[in-house]
Amino acid sequence: MTHYRAGAVTFLSLAIALTALRPALAGGIGFSDEDIANQGGGGPSFFGFVRLVDGPGIADAKVTAELKSRGALVTRSDIMGVYKIPGFGKDVNPDDVIITCAKDGYKQANVVRMPHDASDTKDPVEVECYLQKQ
Amino acid sequence: MSVSVFAKRIGQFWRAIALGLLIVATHNEATWAQTLTGSVSSAAEGAMEGVLVSAQKAGSPITVTVVSDEHGRFRFPDGQFSSGHYALRIRAVGYDLEDPQAVEIGTAPANVAIRLRPAADLAAQLTNTEWLMSMTGTPQQKRPLIECMSCHTLERIVRSTYSPEAFVPVLARMAQYANNTTQARVQKRVAKRPVRDDFLRKLADYLATVNLSSGRTWPYELQTLPRPKGRATHVVITEYDLPRKTIAPHDVRTDAHGNVWYSNFVENFLGELDRRTGAHQEYPIPALKPDFPKGALDLEPDADGNLWLAMMFQTGLAKFDMKSKTFQLFPIPPDLDNDAAQQSMVMPRSSNVDGKVWTNEVAKQSIMRLDLKTGKYELIDPYKLLPRGTQHGPYGMVADAQNNLYFMDFGGEFIGRVDAKTGESTLFPTPTQNSWPRRGMLDERGRLWFAEFAANKLGMFDTKSESFKEWNAPAPYTYPYDAFMDKDGDLWSGGMASDRVLRFDPQSGRSVEYLLPRPTNIRRVFVDNSTSPVTFWAGNNHGAAIIRLQPSD
Repeated sequence: MTHYRAGAVTFLSLAIALTALRPALAGGIGFSDEDIANQGGGGPSFFGFVRLVDGPGIADAKVTAELKSRGALVTRSDIMGVYKIPGFGKDVNPDDVIITCAKDGYKQANVVRMPHDASDTKDPVEVECYLQKQ
Repeated sequence: MSVSVFAKRIGQFWRAIALGLLIVATHNEATWAQTLTGSVSSAAEGAMEGVLVSAQKAGSPITVTVVSDEHGRFRFPDGQFSSGHYALRIRAVGYDLEDPQAVEIGTAPANVAIRLRPAADLAAQLTNTEWLMSMTGTPQQKRPLIECMSCHTLERIVRSTYSPEAFVPVLARMAQYANNTTQARVQKRVAKRPVRDDFLRKLADYLATVNLSSGRTWPYELQTLPRPKGRATHVVITEYDLPRKTIAPHDVRTDAHGNVWYSNFVENFLGELDRRTGAHQEYPIPALKPDFPKGALDLEPDADGNLWLAMMFQTGLAKFDMKSKTFQLFPIPPDLDNDAAQQSMVMPRSSNVDGKVWTNEVAKQSIMRLDLKTGKYELIDPYKLLPRGTQHGPYGMVADAQNNLYFMDFGGEFIGRVDAKTGESTLFPTPTQNSWPRRGMLDERGRLWFAEFAANKLGMFDTKSESFKEWNAPAPYTYPYDAFMDKDGDLWSGGMASDRVLRFDPQSGRSVEYLLPRPTNIRRVFVDNSTSPVTFWAGNNHGAAIIRLQPSD
């Protein structure tokens, strides 16, 4: 009987543990596996080039992805002018995300959004951002 | 005689008396303050460089440590010691102290020849960093262990004999301990925390490959870091033992008068230490939630020099008035409170600008802002853009002159900014993914210096250009917790793994790592810029001691 009770308690404890959905939080032990935890929630992600109009990619340009009333995410283009913005939340409509780019000595000329199937949230949205010298 | 001449004479008289007293006091000091010098050697190496030699007077809470030079010689600062019986200790991985174990310091300078013998138990001397270097397994497998160090050393794990099956319930149990838990004071969370069974199982399987479950010795060779040499030996380290083993100093800082203050991570006290005498005083913080884990984490001054504490599971914030030595509490309202609620950070530095103090709500992965006039908190979700359920949390906080908040995304990879006027948040991903930015400081040039805990890197975010720089920590698996840029352009850091304090020059890339005399779990680091060279301060969170490190160059 005691064994059954101990087993039931263990089972219950494990069942509670198995309900785990919330990821580890700051300042505490989470035994986390962030590669699993931070896989993203299936919302839209963005990538593309920051380029000189009719020219090469521009490195170290600031790229901002802004969603009105929900904030912004700012990254920089790499040496080839490529930028990547990780996945947003599932509820984010990619068409509502405004991509802009900037760099000292340049002004933004144009932003071109490549054709994209809005229903395919796993396919990153390609947005090219063009700068011209001031 | 005129009144002014009389006053002048009186002034001269008292100055002469004061000078006389000073001469007497100095003379007395000279008769009992002595120098301790000596050498360190072993049969295997002869004269040894980089051996830490510590001396502690019987009954004193203060231990002073110096490091032997390239000739094996050491010298404590002149006038450091009064007459008495001093216990000696050494730290040199692979060696134990043979003799002498103590020295009598009298009226003459003392000189001791310290001899070392091979260590009886090398494993007992390894730091967490050295265990991580030694263990078999991939960096991915070792990664979860960095969270174990918050409560105990990794030695505890590797000396266990648990099988994978035995490990699972142990890990599940530990996940229910509050993060403000130490070996001396275990505290349970009131709100049960769910833990994914697949994570536990995977970790348990791995841990059983690096402990003693399959034999009497470890199935890998023990690796050690080299002893200090050169510039890393040019240092004096002072440890102030605190009066209870349970005291867990988390954040340590000095005030405008040079007094040392610290937050106690596991008890409801604010601590004060006299750096000259080691005298210690505690100010009890009223308990807001008596049945919840005790202790506070972040300790920050406001513009008036008053100290603020983030009250962890006690929830809310506490302001300590430095003049009246009393607390004013700012509890969070019931609609924001629950059994998991936790405030680990507070940022009052620019509250004089708009009357607002920043804090965080760990359980909601959110930021909160306290209005000092009304006592009301507002909740701000800085991750509204991101998918739900991903691992992020606002942790270290700094504020600029306009009280805009910059926060470190512990568990994730962002530096975040919350605009003081609009409340809008902007996220800046670090160049390294999953870097876990932890804590840092904002310098006068608007550069945010911070530790990338999981990436083993130090980082700098320029708030003006909104761009990053990153530097690898010189040793592997050191996992820096915090970073502090000093007045001379050196970046200081420490952590829970290596028992070392890192001093890094971002311009040249040169670094010095000062080994500490004892296993030392460092959290917040603080540099006192009022001295030359600067003075480094930190707490030994698991060792109930305050550490002062004075480089000689």
